[in-house]
Amino acid sequence: MIREGILEALQLLLDLDASVIDAASRSLWISIVAVVTATVVGITIGLLLARKRFPGRSLLVLLFRVGMSVPTVLIGLLCYGLLSRRGTLGELELLYTPTAIILGEFFLALPIVTTLTHGAIARLDPRAFETARTLGAGTLQRALTYLREAKLAILLALLTAFSRCFTELGIAMMVGGNITGRTRTLTTATAMETARGEFASGVAMSLILLSISMLVTLAIALLNRETVEPAS
Amino acid sequence: MTVPVQPTFRSMIDITSLTVTKRGQTVCQVANATVAQHSTVGVTGPNGSGKSTLLRVLAGIETAFVGECVVDASVTDRVLVHQSPYLFRGTVLSNVEYGLKARSTSKSTRHDQATLWLERFGVAHLARRSVESLSGGEKRRTALARACVLEPKLLLFDEPLADLDPRGVECVVQSLNMLDASTILITSPAPLPADLTQATISLKQD
Repeated sequence: MIREGILEALQLLLDLDASVIDAASRSLWISIVAVVTATVVGITIGLLLARKRFPGRSLLVLLFRVGMSVPTVLIGLLCYGLLSRRGTLGELELLYTPTAIILGEFFLALPIVTTLTHGAIARLDPRAFETARTLGAGTLQRALTYLREAKLAILLALLTAFSRCFTELGIAMMVGGNITGRTRTLTTATAMETARGEFASGVAMSLILLSISMLVTLAIALLNRETVEPAS
Repeated sequence: MTVPVQPTFRSMIDITSLTVTKRGQTVCQVANATVAQHSTVGVTGPNGSGKSTLLRVLAGIETAFVGECVVDASVTDRVLVHQSPYLFRGTVLSNVEYGLKARSTSKSTRHDQATLWLERFGVAHLARRSVESLSGGEKRRTALARACVLEPKLLLFDEPLADLDPRGVECVVQSLNMLDASTILITSPAPLPADLTQATISLKQD
C-alpha cells in the first residue's frame, strides 16, 4: 500500500498537481513570512537579553526557553481565542486566513529565535564585547558586530525556526481551517487527504514536506559542523 | 625682557591607592603613579601582578576598584589592545577600519589611514586576507594597527611584543614611536626596549 502510494505520489508530483503545488507554495510563504517577522523581533530581544542587565531578565530568558517546547495545538488554541469573534482581536476578522496562521507561527518561531540568539551572543568571547567598546563602536555598530560574530549560530536558529513552522500542523489546522485555495497547507492537506482515504495525495504532500525539511536539516547539520569545527 | 616660561607638567593618568579585588583576593595594587601626557610608559611585573587589570581599569572596562584613578581622556578616547587580541570576522583591512567607521570617517580616508598603519606594522600585504588565516604575530600586528590608526589620547597595550620575532619587535617599536600625540602604556613581564619607554611602573605580586 505504501509502495503504491509513493508511486502515485511521484506521479502527482511529476504532473505538477495543482492542489499539491498550491498547498506547498502556501506552506512555504507562510512559514517564510512568520520566520522573517519573528527574526526581526526575536533577534532584538535576544540581543537585549544577552547584553543588558535589568530586573526580570532571568525570568524572561526562562519564559522564552519554556516557550520553545509549547505544543503547537496550544499556540493554535490561544490564537483561536485571540482571533475568534469574541476574542481581543476578533474585530480584525483574521480567523481562517493565512494571516492567522502567520500569527500563530510567529509565536512558534519567536521563542526559538530569541532563545538561540540569546545563547549565541552570550557565548561569544568576552573580548569581542570589550574590543568593540574600546574601539568606540556605538550601540548599533556593536549590535551588528555581535550578530556578525555569531552569524552561524543565528542562521542555525532561523533554520530551526523555519523547520518547526513548516512542519507544524496544530496552528494551521486550528486558525487556518484547511480551506481549499485559501488556508490549506501541506500538513493540513496531508492530514485531510489521509483521513479521506486519498493515500497517494497524502504521501505526495508528505514527500514534499519531507524533502524541504531534509534540505533544511542538511543545512543545519552543515552549519553545525562549521560552528563546532571553525576553520583554523 | 623675556621671561622663560617653565614648561608645565600635565598628567594623563593620576593613580592614588588603587586596589582591585576579585573574590576576596587583591589582583592589582598601585600606591601612587602619575603618567605625563604624550609619554610612553612601561608597566612591568611578574605574571599575576595585576598589569592587565590595571590596563582594564584605565580603559574604563574594570570599574569595581577602591582608590582614585583619574584619566584625562574620555572613555571613547582610550583604546585597549588585549594580551591575546580579538579580531572580528572578516579581513585584516575591515578590522583596521572598524574604529574609523565608528568615528564616521569617510570611506576613502578610512582606507588610506588603515593602509598606512598596516604598512607601518609590516602587514599591508595581508589587507585582503581573512583574519582566520593569520599567524599569532600577524594577528597581533593587525590588532596594534587597528588601535594605532585611531590615534587616541590614551593607548593601552597588554604585552604587545609577545609572539613577535626581533624584526617584528623593531617594527612595532618604530610604529609606536610615531604616535606623538598619544600617551601609551605598555605592559610586559620583562624589561621593555630602552628606545620605547620613558618611564616604568613596576608592579609587585601580593
